[in-house]
Amino acid sequence: MTDGLAARLRSTLRQRADFSEVLADSWTALSAAAMSQRPVYLERDGKVPLGELFEITGNPNGHIRFSGDLLTADRLGAALSSGHVTIEGSVGAEAGLGMSGGALVIEGDAGDRTGAAPPGFKRGMTGGELIVRGSAGVEAGAAMRRGLLVIARAAGDRAGLGMIAGNVVVFGKAGSNTGLWSKRGSVVALGSITPPPTYTYACTYQPIHLRLLLTRLRDQYGLAVLRRHFTGFYRRYSGDMAELGKGEILVWTAK
Amino acid sequence: MKIRGVLIEDTFAEAFTMRVARIVITARSLRWVRAAALKLTGFATSVIGCKVEAGIERELVPGETPDGRPGVSVLLMTMGKDDLGKRLIERIGQTVLTCPTTACYDGLPDAPDRVGVGSALRFFGDGFQSSKVIAGERFWRIPVMEGEFVVQEKFGMLKGVGGGNFLILASTADAALSAAEAAADALTSQPGVILPFPGGVVRSGSKVGSRRSKTMIASTNDAFCPTLRAITQTALPDEVNSVLEIVINGTDAAAIETAMRTGIDAACRAGVIAISAGNYGGKLGPHHFHLRKLMSRNSSD
Repeated sequence: MTDGLAARLRSTLRQRADFSEVLADSWTALSAAAMSQRPVYLERDGKVPLGELFEITGNPNGHIRFSGDLLTADRLGAALSSGHVTIEGSVGAEAGLGMSGGALVIEGDAGDRTGAAPPGFKRGMTGGELIVRGSAGVEAGAAMRRGLLVIARAAGDRAGLGMIAGNVVVFGKAGSNTGLWSKRGSVVALGSITPPPTYTYACTYQPIHLRLLLTRLRDQYGLAVLRRHFTGFYRRYSGDMAELGKGEILVWTAK
Repeated sequence: MKIRGVLIEDTFAEAFTMRVARIVITARSLRWVRAAALKLTGFATSVIGCKVEAGIERELVPGETPDGRPGVSVLLMTMGKDDLGKRLIERIGQTVLTCPTTACYDGLPDAPDRVGVGSALRFFGDGFQSSKVIAGERFWRIPVMEGEFVVQEKFGMLKGVGGGNFLILASTADAALSAAEAAADALTSQPGVILPFPGGVVRSGSKVGSRRSKTMIASTNDAFCPTLRAITQTALPDEVNSVLEIVINGTDAAAIETAMRTGIDAACRAGVIAISAGNYGGKLGPHHFHLRKLMSRNSSD
């Protein structure tokens, strides 16, 4: 039994770095040496192998853990399709961009457009599970087509912007215009939220499928799902009425 | 062989390969869990007349169910694979979807053979339905007047065994009934098995075909009818005046064996003369459960 790969940042990143190709293709069987060859694009210095920035150790088992100050690391986990990726601290913008499978767990905060669509693409996440244990910047989960994005603390403005389907769960405060222009899909707000004016209140009820989802988040990721989240009620808002109107925002309420 | 004075006849039960699905029903309270389960398993004693055999396997505590609510697991069995899908859709659609507060999940998640159920029932939502994929499984949310009905898209199915049985030959009707009740009680909540007949007990054991009608698949088992002792080739010892049968279906032969052993042991009590079993000479069913071999482990005399 192995622990998977560990990627430890050798020294502080002094320029923004684009990690969009590091985990884009099949990577779960790559050795540490092969993973070290994956390209990273530095803002000023251009293409460098991952191994130049990170010390990579361990044996492949479908799991990789990144550690170090990654606030300037952008697009880490972009196009992820399999395996389990853990980022020990906070990370830059566009983590999990357009991911289609696997799990990406960010132990700290995430930057803007986490799990969103790549520039010029109509679809963002099409699968997988993206867990942010801290807060996320603006437009998290924009244009999501399928999959799960969880933000354990606050979400920036316009989370779930233009969602096509999928789930965005926000445990803390959700920013303004969350779910704006969504076609389908669900935003679950366990903290405070003001739905956009283009959403219409439907009813207050107890959605059974949320019990399945919340159980998964508690058991699989150890997220702090409280008893009241299971036993409470949810106000259902349908929207975005400026689009298909088949989306929803489910807002937890005690009664 | 005798157990507590009850003769265990040197014979065997002959059982058949069937297809089985395990349905997990949850609801806000056991009241509604049971309401749905009783309707789901109603009129499902024998494939001969009901197209399906079904029964409640056991009740589930909230910690055992996918949504953390009280639940029940039901086994539903048919002779063929295609038939199982049809029966699941019919029965879940008419009895679980309609029942307040319920949700319905697959209880055989590891079975590779899967049949669409929620994928068919979703059309009741008339385009307003939606689905969620959670941990790789798709669940359909069908809007209903009460709120939403959640049903898993696909259900697993396995090859199971139907028709495990034993016959309780007793000196009186009361003794037969009392022994049958004890056997059925002992098998309540036994994992992997159901007793599809009323109260788990059959009074009308059947033989293959009919003396009079060529179209009848089954007719009364005259060899075990005490009232016909004088006018047919009886299989009953002289002291026997009533016979009841316990029919057991299960997820596999091992579950049937365990259940038969438990049930026979419970049925060996005062007033019971012998335990026998129904078979067709070993020519029809691939599963043979020999009573004496089964009971050799816990015979008491």
